[in-house]
Amino acid sequence: MQDNYGFLGLYLLIAIAFPFVALGVAYLLRPKRPAPVKSSTYECGLETIGETWVQFKAQYYLYALVFVVFDVETVFLYPWAVAYNRLGLFALVEALIFVGILVAGLAYAWRKGALRWM
Amino acid sequence: MNLIGLLSPELILLATGLLVLILDMAFHGKEGRREWLPFVAIAGLIVFLIAASFLWGTHTSLLSDMMAVDSFALFFKVVAGLSTLLVILASWDYFQGKTPYEGEFYGLLVLAALAITLAAASTDLIMVYLSMEFLSIGSYILVGYLREDPKSNEGAIKYFLYGAVASGIMLYGMSLVYGVTGTTNLAQIAQVFAAGKLTGDMLWLMLPALIMLLAGFGFKIALVPFHQWSPDAYEGAPTPVTAFLSVGPKAAGFAILMRVFLAAFPAFQLDWAAVLAAISMITMTLGNVVALKQTNIKRMLAYSSIAHAGYILIGFASVALDSPSLFNGVNGVLLYLLGYLFSNVGVFVAVIAFENATGSNQIPDYAGLIKRSPWLAGTLFVLLLSLTGIPATAGFLGKFFVFAAAINVQFYVLALVGIVNAAIAAFYYLNVARYMFFVPSQEESHVAIAPALAVALGIATFATLLIGLYPQPFIEFANQSVRLLGVF
Amino acid sequence: MSLPQILFLVVGVITLGAAVAVVTSRNVLHSAFLLALTFFGVAVLYVLLDTPYLAAAQVLVYIGAISVLIIFAIMLSRKVAAPDLVQRNSQWLLSLIVAVLLFGVLAYLTLQTAWPAAKQALGVDAIGGLGEAFVGTYALPFEVVSVVLLVALVGAIIIARER
Repeated sequence: MQDNYGFLGLYLLIAIAFPFVALGVAYLLRPKRPAPVKSSTYECGLETIGETWVQFKAQYYLYALVFVVFDVETVFLYPWAVAYNRLGLFALVEALIFVGILVAGLAYAWRKGALRWM
Repeated sequence: MNLIGLLSPELILLATGLLVLILDMAFHGKEGRREWLPFVAIAGLIVFLIAASFLWGTHTSLLSDMMAVDSFALFFKVVAGLSTLLVILASWDYFQGKTPYEGEFYGLLVLAALAITLAAASTDLIMVYLSMEFLSIGSYILVGYLREDPKSNEGAIKYFLYGAVASGIMLYGMSLVYGVTGTTNLAQIAQVFAAGKLTGDMLWLMLPALIMLLAGFGFKIALVPFHQWSPDAYEGAPTPVTAFLSVGPKAAGFAILMRVFLAAFPAFQLDWAAVLAAISMITMTLGNVVALKQTNIKRMLAYSSIAHAGYILIGFASVALDSPSLFNGVNGVLLYLLGYLFSNVGVFVAVIAFENATGSNQIPDYAGLIKRSPWLAGTLFVLLLSLTGIPATAGFLGKFFVFAAAINVQFYVLALVGIVNAAIAAFYYLNVARYMFFVPSQEESHVAIAPALAVALGIATFATLLIGLYPQPFIEFANQSVRLLGVF
Repeated sequence: MSLPQILFLVVGVITLGAAVAVVTSRNVLHSAFLLALTFFGVAVLYVLLDTPYLAAAQVLVYIGAISVLIIFAIMLSRKVAAPDLVQRNSQWLLSLIVAVLLFGVLAYLTLQTAWPAAKQALGVDAIGGLGEAFVGTYALPFEVVSVVLLVALVGAIIIARER
C-alpha cells in the first residue's frame, strides 16, 4: 500500500524541484542587463493608488459555505459509489434520501439568492 | 411493528421541518401566507406527539442497535415536543420586524426537536456524538438569529467556541473508550467491562475518558465548570430561543448523560456518582449565589437554570435502580424535568410578553405589574413559586423526589446542600414577586399580551398547578419511563 | 527505524511546528496558510497510517474547502495584521499547567495501554467496506448527517447573507 505513496512522494519532490531547476537554468543562461524599468512592479500598467488590501464582498463567502457543505457530501458518497456494485436497491434508496435532503438545501440557497453573482 | 412505524415520530418531525422550510421558499415574497408556517409546525408537533404515544410500552432497538425505542426515549420525545410547541407559541409576535428569516425559525426549531429525540434514543457513541452535534449546530444558529443585534452575535460566538471545544474533548473521550473496548455500542461496552478481561491500566484510562465525556454532556446541560457560555448566550439570544435552550438541550444532555452512564459504564458507578455529586453541589451553589446579584431577568434565569441543573443532577448522582424504594433517582430527574419544562418555559413566556410590551428585561421595571396586567403578574407569580419549589406546584414534586433519592442512598450532605440552596433561590425568585406586587411604579399603562402568548402562559401555568395538585399520573408516567432498554 | 517511521516523525514535527505557528503568528492570513500546512501534514500522517480515505477526505474538505473558507473570511475583515496584539491573558500560566498535566496523564496512560481495538486490521477494500457500512450498519447516522448538513447550510445562509 505504502509503495504507491512512494511514487506520490517522488512526484511531489519533482514538482517542488521543478520550478527551482527551471529558474536556476534560466538564471545561468540569460543575459544580465539590469534597468530600473525591469524592476518596477508593473512594467506595463499603473502603480496602485492607496491601500492594495480590498475588502471582499460577503457574497463570495456564501459560495464557499455552500461549497463546503457539498464537498462534505461528496466525501460521504464516495465510499458508497465504490461499493455500489455490491449493494442492493435499498442502498440506492438510502443514498437518494441522503442526496434528496441536501437538494432541499441547495434549493433553499438558490431561492434565498445565496448563489446569485453580485 | 415495522421500521417505518417505529421510526414514525422521528420521520414526522423530519417531514415537518423540511415542509416548513420548503413552504417558506414557496411563499417567498408572499408575506401573508407565511403567517401559516407556525401553524404547520404546531400541527406537525401534535401529530408527532400522537405518533409517539402509540409507541408507549414498545421496547426494541433499531437499525443495527443505533437507537432504542423505549419508555425512556419516549419520555424525552414528549419533553421535546411539548417544549418546542410552547416555544413556537411564545415566538409568535417576537420576530416581527426583527429578522427576515421568520419562517426558517420554525423549521430549525422543529429540527432541533428532532435532534433532542435522537439524542435521547441513541444507543451508540456515534449516534450520541452526531445527535449532540446536530442539536448544537441548530442551537448556535438560533442563538445568533438576530444578526443586527451585537449581543445575539456575542452569545452565539461564545456558545459556538465553547461548544466546539467541548465536543472535541468529548470525541477524544469516546475515542479512548473505543480504543479500550473495541466497540461504540453502549451495551457492548458494558459487556466488555462486565467480562472483567481488562487489566488495571486500561481501567485507569477510563477515568479521564469518563471525565472527557462528562465535559461534553455537561456543556449541553450547563453544569459548573462547563457553564461559562450560558449567561451570555441566554442574555443575547432571542428570548424564545433562551426559553428553548433552558429546557430542550438541557433535557437532551441529561438523557444522554443518564443513558450513556447507565448503559455503558455501570461498572464505574462508584466513581461517576461521586464526581456527579460534587459537580451537583458546586453547580447549584454557584448558580444560586450569582443569580442573587442579577438585575436583568434573562441573566437571572440563566443562572437559576444552572442551579436547576444542579438540583436535577442530585437525582442522577443518587441513582439506585435496583433499590426497592420509590425514589430510584432517575424518576426524580424525569419528574423534575417535566415540571421544570412547564414552569421555566412559562416564566420565559411571561418575560417575552413583558419584553414585547415594554422593551425591557430589567427586574426593577416589573414594579407595579399587578396593576398593569393582573393576568401576567398572577401567572408569573405561580410559575416563580414552582421554580422556588413551593408545595402544590410542579417544582415541589421534582425537588421532593430528587432530595428523597439522595436520602435513600444516604447522600445526606448532598440533600442538605440542595435544601439550603432551595432556600437561597427563594430570595431572588420572590424578589421579582416583591417588585410586581409591592413596589409602586411610575408607569400605569396596561401591558397587553398577544393571544398566542396568553395561550402558552395559560398552558404552562395550568400544567404547573396540575402536576403539583394531582401528581399521581405524572409520578406513574415517570416511574414507567425509567425503563431503559437493556438496563432496567 | 524504518523509513515510514522516520517519515512519520519528520511530518509530525512539521505539523506540530506549523500548528504552533498558527496560534503565535500575529498576521491572521499567515495563520490561515499555516493552518492549511497543518491540515496537509495531518493528511500525510493519515497516509502513513494506511488510511487513504481519511487522507483524501482531509485534503478535500479541510484543505480544499475549510482553508479556502477561512481565507475568504479573512479577506472580508478589515484588519489582517495586528503587531501590537496581546496574545495571552492573565490565566495563561494556569492553563499551561493544566494542559501540560493533562497531556502528561494522557500520554502516560496511552503508552501503558495495550489498545485491544488497534489489532483489528483493515481489509484490502477498506473504502468499499466503508461504503457498505454507511448504508448498512451506520444507515441511521448516514442519513442524520445529511440533515445536519442541511441545518448547517440553512443556518449559514441566515447568519452570513448580506442584507
